[in-house]
Amino acid sequence: MPADLLRARGVALGYGGRTVLRNLDFTIERGDFLGVMGPNGSGKTTLLRAMLGLIKPLAGTMEWIAQNGGPPRIGYVPQRERLDPNFPLSALEVAVMGRFGKLGAMRRAGRADVEIALGCLTRVGMDRHAHSPYRSLSGGQQQRVLIARALAGEPDALLLDEPTNGMDIEAERAIMELLLDLQQTNATTILFVTHLLSAIQNFARRVALITRDGSLLIGPKAEMLASRSLARAYTEEI
Amino acid sequence: MDLLTVPFMRNVMLAGVLVALGLAPLSVYVVLRRIVFVGAAVAEISSAGVALAILFNLEPFPVALILTILTFLGFSRAADNPRLPLEALIGMLYAGGSAAAVLLIAKSPRGEGDILNVLFGNILTVPLPLLWMMVIAFGAVAAIQYLAAKEFLIVAYDPDMARALGIRVELWNTLFYVALGVAVAIAIRGVGALLAFTLLVAPGAAALSIVGSLRAAFVLATVIGVVATVVGIAGSYWLDLPTGPAIVGILAVVFGLSYLWAATRRA
Repeated sequence: MPADLLRARGVALGYGGRTVLRNLDFTIERGDFLGVMGPNGSGKTTLLRAMLGLIKPLAGTMEWIAQNGGPPRIGYVPQRERLDPNFPLSALEVAVMGRFGKLGAMRRAGRADVEIALGCLTRVGMDRHAHSPYRSLSGGQQQRVLIARALAGEPDALLLDEPTNGMDIEAERAIMELLLDLQQTNATTILFVTHLLSAIQNFARRVALITRDGSLLIGPKAEMLASRSLARAYTEEI
Repeated sequence: MDLLTVPFMRNVMLAGVLVALGLAPLSVYVVLRRIVFVGAAVAEISSAGVALAILFNLEPFPVALILTILTFLGFSRAADNPRLPLEALIGMLYAGGSAAAVLLIAKSPRGEGDILNVLFGNILTVPLPLLWMMVIAFGAVAAIQYLAAKEFLIVAYDPDMARALGIRVELWNTLFYVALGVAVAIAIRGVGALLAFTLLVAPGAAALSIVGSLRAAFVLATVIGVVATVVGIAGSYWLDLPTGPAIVGILAVVFGLSYLWAATRRA
């Protein structure tokens, strides 16, 4: 039985005094491939940000379980639209940022860090574009670079925010198959947030479904995609 | 160059080049962080600080320096306020700072000449101690930029990723704004608000229009800042024009040409 990676107990999340998600009790196991879905504005990104420690729970505890004496390393892949295209960075320069957490304050990335980042670009099939401007890449290519950046931190788990948003079906399939491959060959835990049913239906192993009342249903895909569960999250949207 | 044989022109040239070296690399971040008008507003606040100090017979520079750093720190916190767009704050500080400077100078015993000094500086009369202060302060700011390059980059580009990596975003933002505040305050003291503001925007904006790499943008912005300053000083000497506005004019032309060049490449 896989070990637990993250435990949430009685968690409430929200902003500015408004509670968006409440009574969250769930566990994420090592090696999981979990898709988080729910209607627009239901709190998917809020949940992800809480897992990253970017916002504190209003109540309850959310705890990453240590392994081999240290806390798990988390790789974060943000929505690519959030990154400012005015920054003139190459794909390699973006990927090297994934190493910054491993360097001390005011220490510059060295040759070894660049080699690791380059290896991660190779892993996601972007080594040919290492020196291309990041902003000139397609949406799917940018997403691969951001995954490489997260991998450069040698994470135990990858948390992805809408990784296939705005992509056509082919690009979506390519990204999701890459994530599946990372989970199977590197045993990396994958958690992705999406509003696209297709990504969940075709690739997730387990599903977390945010309901209309701000609670979370979590379980095997078949169970979560049953009409009774979906009805708790969506009304006329399905 | 005969102008360098004139003793005080050597100081003018040195002051101009030092300010350009201090502000031009920062201008890349100012443009990328979209805080161009923060520079303008802070320049006005600094001017008001100088005017306040003159009115109360205090040493102008420490007052301006403290006000400038406090304003920059205020901006670094204001960016997190979801209720108030940053533009509103910048606009009001700009207007309030300008008005305060003019009102305070109007009551100053030294009169209108001070207004010109505050707004356009007096690069022609930069004293030797200020030159030394520029060397030390701009040297320190450059060293911080070099050493904290990765922190300044990631907190500007992707603060959430930085936090997820355990990088202390607020700490590095504060250090960036303090460095910016010190550089701007000293530059205004030396060359005036208008030139300081222009050097805080134009070199970075021009360089980012031309080159496609961040490292090249820092180098080119510095070259543009220094060359435009030297050409502006020399031109003002030979054509008998005011020096600060002459440098601003050159920088405006360089920015215009770079903008056109970038637009042509996109077409």
